[in-house]
Amino acid sequence: MAKFDVDEALVRKLSELLDDTGLTEIEYRAGEQTIRVSRGAEGLALAPASSAALTIGAAKEDVPEDTGHHPGAITAPMVGVVYLAPEPGSPSFIKPGDTVGEGETLLLIEAMKTFNPVRAPRNGRVSRILVADKAPVEFGEDLVILE
Amino acid sequence: MFDKILIANRGEIALRIHRSCHEMGISTVAVHSTADADAMHVRLADESVCIGAPPATESYLNIPAIITAATITNADAIHPGYGFLSENAKFAAIVEEHGIGFIGPTSDQIALMGDKIASKAKVASLGMPVVPGSDGAVSNSSETWRLADDIGYPVLVKASAGGGGRGMKVVRSADELDTSLRQARGEAKAAFGDDTIYIEKYLETPRHIEIQVLGDGNGKVIHLGERDCSLQRRNQKILEEAGSAGINDSQRDEIGATVCKALSELKYRNAGTVEFLYENGEFYFIEMNTRLQVEHPITELVTGVDIVREQIRLAAGTPLSMTQADVNFSGHAMECRINAESPDNFVPCPGKVTDYHPPGGPNVRVDSGLYSGYTVQPHYDSLVSKLIVYGTTRNECLMRLRRALEEYVIGGIDTTIPLHQSIVSDTDFVNGDYDIHWLERFVAERAASG
Repeated sequence: MAKFDVDEALVRKLSELLDDTGLTEIEYRAGEQTIRVSRGAEGLALAPASSAALTIGAAKEDVPEDTGHHPGAITAPMVGVVYLAPEPGSPSFIKPGDTVGEGETLLLIEAMKTFNPVRAPRNGRVSRILVADKAPVEFGEDLVILE
Repeated sequence: MFDKILIANRGEIALRIHRSCHEMGISTVAVHSTADADAMHVRLADESVCIGAPPATESYLNIPAIITAATITNADAIHPGYGFLSENAKFAAIVEEHGIGFIGPTSDQIALMGDKIASKAKVASLGMPVVPGSDGAVSNSSETWRLADDIGYPVLVKASAGGGGRGMKVVRSADELDTSLRQARGEAKAAFGDDTIYIEKYLETPRHIEIQVLGDGNGKVIHLGERDCSLQRRNQKILEEAGSAGINDSQRDEIGATVCKALSELKYRNAGTVEFLYENGEFYFIEMNTRLQVEHPITELVTGVDIVREQIRLAAGTPLSMTQADVNFSGHAMECRINAESPDNFVPCPGKVTDYHPPGGPNVRVDSGLYSGYTVQPHYDSLVSKLIVYGTTRNECLMRLRRALEEYVIGGIDTTIPLHQSIVSDTDFVNGDYDIHWLERFVAERAASG
């Protein structure tokens, strides 16, 4: 059996979730380590599994990927299609981790065949790019998180 | 038939269009400003695209944003509703250049009817009766004096670039003509950037009677009867009826036939409304609206025709669903335009709707995007609901309208429901005895008596 540290707080949390939700089993996976908590005849049992198991996300502990707006996000100033590179085949304007200066082009939004640059409103570091190349976006949609 | 229609509008008419689309199995795209993200039609549409900030110029009048939204959603047609871009000839042309269906007339037809001098001359040449007038712009010369004498005082001096009742002056005698012409020119220049003026006979107590038409674009045009929209305040219609208490069936048939003959020569396409002033047995053309009108539901109730459905069918190239002989008029309908305004001083009252209970029962229809918890936005016009009722007779319709108004609850904001309640219990209204000035007098008297 592989050795790994038991995160006691996590186990307690999972147990509470079992109680709260009335489920009989929750399996939680982080990296290559998995914890499964289940309600057996004699109460809760704790069974570490070493194999890579599919996570059954019973509790919605999601990091907010799409809910609401991110602070520090650059939003779309118009509806259109996003292009991450100046031309097909050339490298993208930015990638996560890049530092950008105010006024630098982050990406293009195409509307009615005209390409409109979306520029950084301030200096910062690109932490995440939230849209894919050629994705359609609405006015106000989050595009890039600039820290 | 179209698979997907983009609705380039908001509020109650966007919901109206969405409803006909879904009844035809057509999916809908709602474009909206950030302020309208929670609008009912946005919630119900199959897809929605936020196209801009609240000001209309940045959203509902933003042609590139709307075309782009249509392109990215693969909409195959756009319905422009009323107001906004619905009578923008350039927009209609751009839509069609992009291979997207425009649910309305051709760009040229929109441009023609948008020019008040040109449209009047055109329809006159096609046999429609028009208000006697200068048939073109006037100068300050003696020619104009003679013209005014021929027409007969009182005359109305009008700005060619005006509209919605703005830029008009009544002149009662030759003595006043000179001053009025100069003033009108100055005001027109200031308000519309164009000091072109023309003159027309001024009708003292006319009714506003309009004819609904549908054209297939190939020369077949039918009419769906008249609407009486005389009840106006500051040239905004408040309460409309189908049919008009001021004309009879044979008058309707006659003016309807005249209108259809003229428009079929133009090969008019899709829905439209020809507006007349009517006085002493005579009709006088004032303008044509090349779009769906706010008050279209009253025509729908007395003819059984779904006008939005017909618009969509016609735009998709389907022939007219009916001939003139198939159109039957039955019963009577009335519509109250309910605004989010004080019923006493008409100050707009946007805000959150708390309790919402629309009236129901047989032959009562409410066209509205309101719901409990919805916030009426300050950025747009104040029309929030249309209450439309049908009766087999005008009297039955009236009793039903009174009953429905009693039931209607819109809490949290001021609305003009109380104004409508006082109109429908007024003797003149009950007798159908009113003209286009009646409501202004009624409102003034109501304000004076407190």
